[in-house]
Amino acid sequence: MEKAVIAMGLVENGKLPGPLTKLLNISRKYSLWVYQWGLACCAIEMGAAFASPRYDVMRLGVIPFPASPRQADLVVISGTVTDKMAPAVRRLYEQMPEPKYVISMGSCANCGGPYWDSYSVTKGVDQIIPVDVYVPGCPPRPEALLEGIVLLQERIASEDMTDRWNRDPIVVT
Amino acid sequence: MNLEASTQQLSYIANQASDARVNIELETEGMTLNLGPQHPATHGTLRIIVRLDGEQVVSAEPVMGYMHRGYEKLTEVRTYPQVTTLVNRIDWLGSFANEVPFILAAERLMEVEAPPRAQWIRTALFELSRIANVVLFLGDMAVQLGATTPVFYAFRDREFVLNQIESVTGGRFHPNFDRIGGIKDDLPKGWIQETKDVLARIHSFCDEMQDLVVGNEIFQTRTRGIGIIPADVGLSYGLSGANIRSSGVDWDLRRDGGVGLIHDQLDWKVWTHPDGDSFARYWVRLQEVRESCKMVDQILDGIPSGPIMAKVPRIIKVPPGEAYVETENPLGVMGYYIVSKGDLVPYRVKIRSASFNNVSITPWVLKGVYVPDVISILASLYFILGDIDR
Amino acid sequence: MSSPDTTEEGLVEESIESQEDLIIDEERDVLVESIKKDLGSDFIDSHVTPQIDIWIRVTQKAWLETARVLFEKYEMSFFNFLSAIDWKPSPFGRDMDAAIDNTDDEVDIESEMEWGVTGGEKRFQLLARVHNPVTNIGINIKADLEGDFPEVETWIPVYPGANWHEREVMEMFGISFTNHPNMVNLYLPTEFEGNPLRKDFPLLSRRAKPWPGIVDVELMPGEDDDETEESGEET
Ligand code: SF4
Repeated sequence: MEKAVIAMGLVENGKLPGPLTKLLNISRKYSLWVYQWGLACCAIEMGAAFASPRYDVMRLGVIPFPASPRQADLVVISGTVTDKMAPAVRRLYEQMPEPKYVISMGSCANCGGPYWDSYSVTKGVDQIIPVDVYVPGCPPRPEALLEGIVLLQERIASEDMTDRWNRDPIVVT
Repeated sequence: MNLEASTQQLSYIANQASDARVNIELETEGMTLNLGPQHPATHGTLRIIVRLDGEQVVSAEPVMGYMHRGYEKLTEVRTYPQVTTLVNRIDWLGSFANEVPFILAAERLMEVEAPPRAQWIRTALFELSRIANVVLFLGDMAVQLGATTPVFYAFRDREFVLNQIESVTGGRFHPNFDRIGGIKDDLPKGWIQETKDVLARIHSFCDEMQDLVVGNEIFQTRTRGIGIIPADVGLSYGLSGANIRSSGVDWDLRRDGGVGLIHDQLDWKVWTHPDGDSFARYWVRLQEVRESCKMVDQILDGIPSGPIMAKVPRIIKVPPGEAYVETENPLGVMGYYIVSKGDLVPYRVKIRSASFNNVSITPWVLKGVYVPDVISILASLYFILGDIDR
Repeated sequence: MSSPDTTEEGLVEESIESQEDLIIDEERDVLVESIKKDLGSDFIDSHVTPQIDIWIRVTQKAWLETARVLFEKYEMSFFNFLSAIDWKPSPFGRDMDAAIDNTDDEVDIESEMEWGVTGGEKRFQLLARVHNPVTNIGINIKADLEGDFPEVETWIPVYPGANWHEREVMEMFGISFTNHPNMVNLYLPTEFEGNPLRKDFPLLSRRAKPWPGIVDVELMPGEDDDETEESGEET
């Protein structure tokens, strides 16, 4: 991913005083608006994590209700990305405002999963958009997705906008 | 609303529309609305291009393939045991049910039969996966018509069913548990009692839905008389499952199919509804969940003891031949046509998935309805993208 | 495929035949006879597995006619599916199989073709199934297709549900349907090249990085070791 982020404000310039960065990071960390991009079976586990009373993602400060990607900070790509779908995924990502984060959920989104040899499946969503957290599994349990979110929050808490794109992705194990 | 009244209503609508066309001031311009690929009403990534005249749908054409994963080709390069892993993921809400017809077809070719205990457990899991599948529908259809609560209830109670499936198979919803000649493992200790408790929960969930959704006036107005599918049209489009039973066709493969599950030894009832509208489809599914609970209950009481695996070679080679087996899956009739040439891998597998046919009626049924009804009809047809696109 | 397979097939056919002697399925036999009469010379072959299933094979030009007869006269009102089979084995030897990878043997295609139930003559065979929900009898219909990019009449006038199935067959096999209102790709992007379900369509990921074969087979419950050794030799 090229560094196409245009520096517009203090945050992007990275010239903030330390405590202020920290404050901003904490507030971003606990108000992640997540857009659910449910594509396949994993979407149901994502639904279970986001909508079921048992897992209750809102206690982590994640709000799963934005109506459009333009209001979202985080997108969870859950499921198989096909070659036909790939342009739509790319466009969705481009519509999101910076700073934006991507969680790739499930083997399919990570690397093609059970369809590694298929003629119509994109082998990994990271071919089209940068990914912050990989959650493996087929499907990952809702708990695994929650852990992915917690790890992402940890990263956000210690984030410095300038080196945002230079980091390695997190792999939930 | 009966069929006649709704035809009257339709012709009334059509008259009004043509009147409007005469009146220049009221003339509306055609508009194309793009539903999807990502839309909450589509359970995934179905995209429907709807051409509108005002509020009325002139034509609707689903664009598919956003979830096409090439199952039929991939089965040609997977060994028979590997195929079950793959086909699990076709209808991802009731995964176990996807394996069953494939395994039955392979068993027919190999001329083996699973021992009775395996068949009973299979049927129990088959029905449990139906519950896991349809329960979500019961909540989800309400959510699409604007009621948010039922889906939370559905997710809450579905978790318990998944727990039961998981404690037998080890997978929450991709169990890959069925084997040619039997099943992989026996039931864990205490499972029967726990499952009974879960079934009681599902029963009360059904009662809740009965009060909350079926008895709801708004729900009724939005679904009754909407999206009527007459039986003959439905059949010629290949509609199956609850979709066709709600048009009054009394046909259920669990009762009539006679394949290697044990539904014929249980006491249950096939529900039909004469109306064929969205409401009927919801209602029939609600009754079916209740019937499934009843079935599982009887199975739990009557599981015979014995082995769970017939004698099959360790490396499975299926003798040459062709077989087609279909079962009544949560979404409708699902079948596998296997062509074997005596190899480790099938030569060709044709997957007949229920949703593909169920959705192919959308251009017909959406014609002439109003935009809000599109959602109600799509939701009530109940499809799963993996099952359409395969 | 080598000669051992052929002998195997012979054995199996024998056993099926001996079964047929035991169980007689009058209902299905009568049905097949009557269809045969209706279709006349367009009816090529049939096969009945008692109590289970029927296969019939018809000519290409009678494809639509068969549907009409089945629908109108035999009330096969439920449309199951419509698809096709490519009987020409993959030209890449057996590298499409999970077990044996990357043999570069050129396969002599014409002599290698082997057909399934009710036989066949051509590379492509249409396969459809319709069902009578009242009597619960289903019937599989096959038809051989002429040429490499065959054309056949659409079933839509009889079974409107065939619409999407035919589009799928078109993109997957390259078989087109005349009089079809909307003969465009169903699943694949328009610019997709090739027909994936043809046997000569390579799965490129598999060619780039072959499947390691069966590396670990889980022991089935209640199995003894003798069998294991036996089948181990087979691979
Ligand atoms: S990773 Fe597995 S569960 Fe998730 S979408 Fe892919 S096949 Fe489905």
